[in-house]
Amino acid sequence: MTTAAATKEQPLSDLLSAYRRKEIAGFDELLDASGSVRAPWQRLLEGLAELPEAERQSRSDRLSSRVRETGIAYDIFADPHTTQQRWTLDLLPIVISASEWQGLERALIQRARLFDALLNDVYGEQKLLRDGLLPAELIFSDAAYLAPANGVLPNAGGLMFYAADIARGEDGEWHVIDNHTETLAGIGFALANRVVHTHVAGDLFRDCNARRLAPYFQELQATLTLHSGRENARIALMTPGPHHEDYFSHAYLARYLGYLLIEGHDLKTRNEQVYLKTLEGLKEIDLLVRCIDGKSSDPLELDSAGFIGPSGLLRVCRRSPRIVVNAIGTALAQNRGLGPYLPQLARHVLGEDLELKDAPRRWLGDPEARHEIFSQSDKFIIRKAQEGTGRPGQAARGWEARGLSAPEREKLKREIELYGATLVAEEKVGFSSAPILGRDALVPKPFAVRLFVCRTASGYQVMPGGLAMSIDPEHSVALSAPDGRTRDVWVLSESELAPHISLWRPTLATARIERSQRVIQSRVADDLFWLGRYSERADWTMRVLRGALRRIEEDSVPDTGRRAARKCLEVLLGKDMGIASESRETPPDAEIERLCERLIANGLGSRTLERTLDGLYRVAHLVRDRLSLEAWQTLTKFRPGERWREALNSAQPLEVLDVLDEGLASIAAFNGFMHENMTRNFGWAFLDMGRRIERAQNLSEAILTLFIPSPDPEETSSSLLLLLELADSFITYRSRYRLDPMLPLVLDLLLLDEANPRSLAYQLSAIARHLESLPDTHQGSGLPEDRRLILALLTSLRMVDIEAMSKEESGATLERLLKDQLEMLPELSNEITRHYFNVMDEAPHRAHTRVETSL
Amino acid sequence: MIFDIVHKTHYRYRSMVVQSLHLVHVTPRTLPGQIVRHHSLTVEPAPVSRQDGIDAFGNIGIILDIESQHKELVLTARSTVEKLSAPPVNLLATTPWDRLDDKLLDPNRQRDVHVLMFRCASRLTLPTLEIADYAAPSFTLGRPVLDAAMDFVMRMYNDFTFDPHATDVSTPLSQVFRTKRGVCQDFAHAALACLRSLRIPARYISGYLHTRPPPGRPKLQGADASHAWISVWTPEYGWVDLDPTNGIVVRDEHVTVAYGRDYDDVSPISGVLRGGGEHSVSVGVDVNMVAGAPADALSGR
Repeated sequence: MTTAAATKEQPLSDLLSAYRRKEIAGFDELLDASGSVRAPWQRLLEGLAELPEAERQSRSDRLSSRVRETGIAYDIFADPHTTQQRWTLDLLPIVISASEWQGLERALIQRARLFDALLNDVYGEQKLLRDGLLPAELIFSDAAYLAPANGVLPNAGGLMFYAADIARGEDGEWHVIDNHTETLAGIGFALANRVVHTHVAGDLFRDCNARRLAPYFQELQATLTLHSGRENARIALMTPGPHHEDYFSHAYLARYLGYLLIEGHDLKTRNEQVYLKTLEGLKEIDLLVRCIDGKSSDPLELDSAGFIGPSGLLRVCRRSPRIVVNAIGTALAQNRGLGPYLPQLARHVLGEDLELKDAPRRWLGDPEARHEIFSQSDKFIIRKAQEGTGRPGQAARGWEARGLSAPEREKLKREIELYGATLVAEEKVGFSSAPILGRDALVPKPFAVRLFVCRTASGYQVMPGGLAMSIDPEHSVALSAPDGRTRDVWVLSESELAPHISLWRPTLATARIERSQRVIQSRVADDLFWLGRYSERADWTMRVLRGALRRIEEDSVPDTGRRAARKCLEVLLGKDMGIASESRETPPDAEIERLCERLIANGLGSRTLERTLDGLYRVAHLVRDRLSLEAWQTLTKFRPGERWREALNSAQPLEVLDVLDEGLASIAAFNGFMHENMTRNFGWAFLDMGRRIERAQNLSEAILTLFIPSPDPEETSSSLLLLLELADSFITYRSRYRLDPMLPLVLDLLLLDEANPRSLAYQLSAIARHLESLPDTHQGSGLPEDRRLILALLTSLRMVDIEAMSKEESGATLERLLKDQLEMLPELSNEITRHYFNVMDEAPHRAHTRVETSL
Repeated sequence: MIFDIVHKTHYRYRSMVVQSLHLVHVTPRTLPGQIVRHHSLTVEPAPVSRQDGIDAFGNIGIILDIESQHKELVLTARSTVEKLSAPPVNLLATTPWDRLDDKLLDPNRQRDVHVLMFRCASRLTLPTLEIADYAAPSFTLGRPVLDAAMDFVMRMYNDFTFDPHATDVSTPLSQVFRTKRGVCQDFAHAALACLRSLRIPARYISGYLHTRPPPGRPKLQGADASHAWISVWTPEYGWVDLDPTNGIVVRDEHVTVAYGRDYDDVSPISGVLRGGGEHSVSVGVDVNMVAGAPADALSGR
């Protein structure tokens, strides 16, 4: 490094020294041709230069850790080690001046109007096709043209959401490189980027007088409410589910706007209505914000292969066309082949000249275009006209004739002849560059920006911000981020800014929407139930591990303590371990360490800590929109590949103790956040029941393991100590009895004492209360099975005479009690699943008839 | 000629179907040369709702919501349809296939969207280079479109073997071309892929075929079938139906129910259901001529 990194103070010129030296081929956003900083960037640059270098780095680091905590990522289930790039956000935004923005804004609104008119025509009168202004074969070759949706879209209120990817060519002009008319196109990523970025660079943002996003989202929210036609509308955002790459964006947006996040199978359609399946039965949905492809929106009429959307949605739209936005069918307008026809369409349809040009493109369904590219094929990249993705960051690569052998070229030529109607040829436009924060100075990087447009009551509006990505100009003609690097987009304002409003704190006008969060889909209830189980299981497993490792660490612990710990480890590792080591020989420390290691990661059992934490993280992600930000952040520690997880696996046994302490603290914090922040609705009931069932089960199992068969007095006392530790009741015991642990007293405290939140009785009566509070959807006479089970569990426990039981030599009564519990608790869990979660034994499927003539 | 048609579809499910939603195309449409005198559809168990609609192609599609639990579903469509004899067609008096653009994209005239649509490949008629190669010999430069299409259809008729066990609904077209085996639906898709790869407008027809018993034998009930064939557009005659399975120009014993880009658009009955497990389906079609006598006989295949 030959930069000025060594100097403590870095004035502006130093910050730019590396930048100036870089070879900048085309247009640069930051520097003009003479090498001086362009006016819109001046403030930002000064602000940055005032910061010490260490401060810039630390802000950059905080930004990445914020991004990680927020969980901005494409594919949450992807293994962070092997697959896609992580999402990164640069400290430097792209700055757009107020006057430049005015032009962009006007141009984007014009495009939205044009696409709106185009879609209304194609799904309506088809006059543009008949007049030959749009080639019919371009439209009808596109799989995104959904013939069954004909006639629906024009009544649906037109195109509501539009986004454009734009880049500045080397000539300094902005070009549209892609259009997105299908869904909200990853607007949640832009929003999350801004929220995270403001945490770190809020001061710079304010100094630059850049425009905020909140007013735009408020407008959007008001628009959707208006569109639904009901003030108290139940609005839901329909996502393909957590496995979709944009799930983060969907979940984040739903949360921000206070909408339900639902999947197709949460819904049921009838004639003209869509219903949400909830614990309390079917609830009408007033508006679906569609974040799934139009093609996947209805397995009955539109998608003969998949089951993503709710069956019968399209026929609902025929009767209630406004119920889905964007209307089904809008993806058609993002066909890249439309580009060359837009200027004449704009003149014809709007009577205006198109303000923003598309990147140079030819539609290969046109014989002349084919002829042209055959004659100079090296200049072009061939790509699909319709890629059907609104996903930022990962544009598919095209084909190039350059470098092909003669037979390969011939084949490509024939394929273009055959599939031309679905292909385009593109010329590279080049990209302008803008600075990112490199290792110790600014570095120019090419970029493209996605801008978002929404139709409001007062016409189309453009979000004053966007999502910028670094691109690789060698390979890309579309928005893509090969390095996963994104940037915020700052639109400067010339006027005084409106005061800060954020939807995170709903105003009175929007507060009513929050009530809809009381509605719990059956699926979400299921996930919350498992969230409760996994978090409790993780807590218990870590306590067992900690108990065992402490007993190795501390010299003063008697051998019986180690044996007790070993029993607990073994029971978690599974029955096939050969527990029957009845010898009184002290297990060597190495043996306990080995067991701990297996329980953490290597065991075959289903209850290793690693599996539990994976499960915890996975279900937490499924219900992210139900968790407070803080609650979620405490769990990000458990994400596979996170530093804490690595430490857990790689640390020496005794260092693991610290790691476990940290983990237990996070679980406790998570539970605390949930306890304090979660509304006491049905969702809470399921989360808590999951936790209680798991705790009751672990406790029963531990007591059974430690005290059946009855150990000798010395071991009994060690086992009691361990048990109190596992059940986190040591302090309670001591403060109550001021005695060394004695079996009857401990059993009373941990089994029967309903005032002790760690006791079995407490768990069971809490479950009973929750079950009482749930809507009764049980049909038939008598108690539902789940209530019957909890009653049986409670009764068998309440009948116990602790004193008599403790005196028994054989421990038979205690054994029977615990075995009953251990038998019925899993049944109870299954019964709750069956009763409430509406889990079908099988996925939906199809019945076809084939047309075949019989002889 | 007047035909009475009974089309009965019987589903049997291994376990209870909790709810099901069906899209049904079993109502013949009135067209030039075809008049629908009567039609009824009965469904057992009765649906909670039934929506009749006309799709983008003018077909009648019915959506049935069945919410009562059931293990069997029976749909019976009864139709009475009058067919008029199609006017004779001179295959040679049609525009050359490679000059269709002159008519279809004539800058002085409005374009016919409903013809242009059927030049485009659809999900089930996507061509491959091999498929295009198969079509090529029939389409020499300047050959009248219908003459070339009929030559092509006859080649298919000779090269392809009817074999209901060779394919199912999900068999890709490339395999049908490789094995040259399948059922009428496969042959129709194969023919459409070829014609559309040459940008000749062609559509998929779903309907019924009246068959005759061998001389001296009584007609067997249920021996007829739901059938599929294609239609090719020419500037001279409009749409002309060809039957690749039987190697003929369609006269008056084919009753059209619906047409579209491919099977997806006009599948007689498709359904999405919850529950039910595995299912079996039996389809019986009877086409009885109640008036009029045709000139020649066809055998169903």
